[in-house]
Amino acid sequence: MSQHAAPADRPLGVGILGAGPVTQAIHLPALARLQNILEVRHIMDVDPAVASSVAARVGAVAGSSMDALLADPAVDIVAICSPHQFHADQVIAACRAGKKAVLCEKPFAMNAEEAARISAVSTETGVPIVVGAMHTFDPGWLAAEQNWGDLPKQVHTIRSSIVLPPNARFEDFATEIITRPAAGNPDYSDIEVIKRALQGGIMGLAIHDLPLVRRFTPDFADIEVLNVFHVRPFGYAVSLRTPTRVIELRAVMNSTWKPEWTFEAIGDDAALHIDFTPSYVQAGSAVATISRGNGSETSVFGPYGHNGYEGEWLELAGLARGTRPAPSAQTLIDDLTFALAIAEATVASAAAGHAGAAEEAGVSA
Amino acid sequence: MSGQYTVAAGPVAREAGAVTPTMASLPETFGPAQDTQAGTADVLVVAGVPGWTAEAASAVAAGMRGIVVANPVPEDSTQLAAAAGAAGTAVVLDLRWASNPALVGDATEPDARDAVRSAAGTASLLDSVATAAQGTDPQRLLADHLASLLAVCGPLGAVRVLRSGAAGYTVGGRLPNGAPFTAQGVLTAARPAGVDIRLYTADGGVTVQVPDPDAAWPAEVRVTGPHGELLLPTLYESAHRSAWRRLKDHLRAGTSPDDLAGFARLTDLYATLAAT
Repeated sequence: MSQHAAPADRPLGVGILGAGPVTQAIHLPALARLQNILEVRHIMDVDPAVASSVAARVGAVAGSSMDALLADPAVDIVAICSPHQFHADQVIAACRAGKKAVLCEKPFAMNAEEAARISAVSTETGVPIVVGAMHTFDPGWLAAEQNWGDLPKQVHTIRSSIVLPPNARFEDFATEIITRPAAGNPDYSDIEVIKRALQGGIMGLAIHDLPLVRRFTPDFADIEVLNVFHVRPFGYAVSLRTPTRVIELRAVMNSTWKPEWTFEAIGDDAALHIDFTPSYVQAGSAVATISRGNGSETSVFGPYGHNGYEGEWLELAGLARGTRPAPSAQTLIDDLTFALAIAEATVASAAAGHAGAAEEAGVSA
Repeated sequence: MSGQYTVAAGPVAREAGAVTPTMASLPETFGPAQDTQAGTADVLVVAGVPGWTAEAASAVAAGMRGIVVANPVPEDSTQLAAAAGAAGTAVVLDLRWASNPALVGDATEPDARDAVRSAAGTASLLDSVATAAQGTDPQRLLADHLASLLAVCGPLGAVRVLRSGAAGYTVGGRLPNGAPFTAQGVLTAARPAGVDIRLYTADGGVTVQVPDPDAAWPAEVRVTGPHGELLLPTLYESAHRSAWRRLKDHLRAGTSPDDLAGFARLTDLYATLAAT
């Protein structure tokens, strides 16, 4: 059962499972901007030294036991920032521990069965769950949503394009990282390595924007992968469609310094273009532009002073205090199902040596 | 000044090639032929509708010194090229985006082709989007789009149409180094027409944004690398004027443009894709 709302004059206590780069470079800096309402009180990591070091930065209790963190009465909200495969069980445990709200980094489950279990426990316990799809909490996106009118009905083309330097560039702007995972050197002559890279690309990178894509895709259950390109050193170019929508996903992570993170939804008479700020840094919100009339009429929203991560925490604080309605569990499940379907079809297409049977032609200029 | 070239153009060609305002921007070089002189003008403007190669070949046979083809559709131009070469007629193609001077300029200025081809060796992905008004024939848009890509990218291999419909198309293929490229066409009334080409490389890339030629707004070519980002000099000249200026240079110098040779590569690719 969810506990009663906390006194409004006392910051809510936060406990974090997993103290890796996301916790260090994203959540702690975001929470540092919200100290009047949220306070980090307990940090758990399987590596006790990492837990101690990171917890010491914020004066929190450190430990290597999830049960101890969930039993800590000072913790009102649990953030799950552990490796993907632990998410489902930890979300369920946090709900059963009677916490006021749970934040789970994306993806919140790795299959539909896990998602159903989580949904059932959330319903049973009444503990609201927020999935860390930070762009859905970005003030630029939210402002666009308030102003896009009938755009979702008329959209025919959706694009998500993500161009990023290696994470370390922005992690190092945000904090001083300890225990950064070693960079790998994948052998892309092995199709299994490519399949894993594409799976990781969809479930680790594209998933940031797939809830946005789904917002404009009413027939999301009928997704079809038309083509998959694996992009080196890391990325993808995936062409998808539903009966009514064209969806193009692009991503490149290379050694550039210049991030480009855009989302577009284009209809017959109106179009939305959003430029998101890169992850990790507290660089404010996205800028959303709604255009009409061959681009001669534009409405611009943003930038606002905070990003989607801070937005997530504001949402969690509102949920924990009972001042905001709990998010729909079905929305979370649909978002996950959509992402899993794309990831599965993408990997299958790559394994089949590219979907699409059109003949090939070559030309030189 | 060595005299003004007289220009004849029918109504369709005049509209398609924005002939009047373009000639007005080169007033020392080109002027309209009087109605009574149409058969003896120096230059003929041909609308690039189906059958344009036959009309242009007739103009070559009639002794025209120069021909401008306004936004030609892909069509076999082999015989036209041979006839123009033999007669010494300069045939210049005024292509919607590919004729923009920022894509392929003269040797004295940096252009998109140089920037893209210099970076192509470390390409990871080339992603391009062409936008046009609703009602545009997607196949026509694809031809304009491919023409701009061929102008700047060099060889395109393993090209396939991934889908095509009323809302646009997606084409995919490979760059010379094996990296993938995608070209998407989008039909909408929400955005200005134009083509956007983005090449991502190991440490940066090149972006090319080309507007429609109905005004002299410049294309933007940006080169990103460890040094930062460099905006190439902006050229406030439309694709139409750039094509006509090249015609002027060839007429003055007595040289032959290679437009038809380049266009043959587009035609070959287009024909192969259309057959699939």
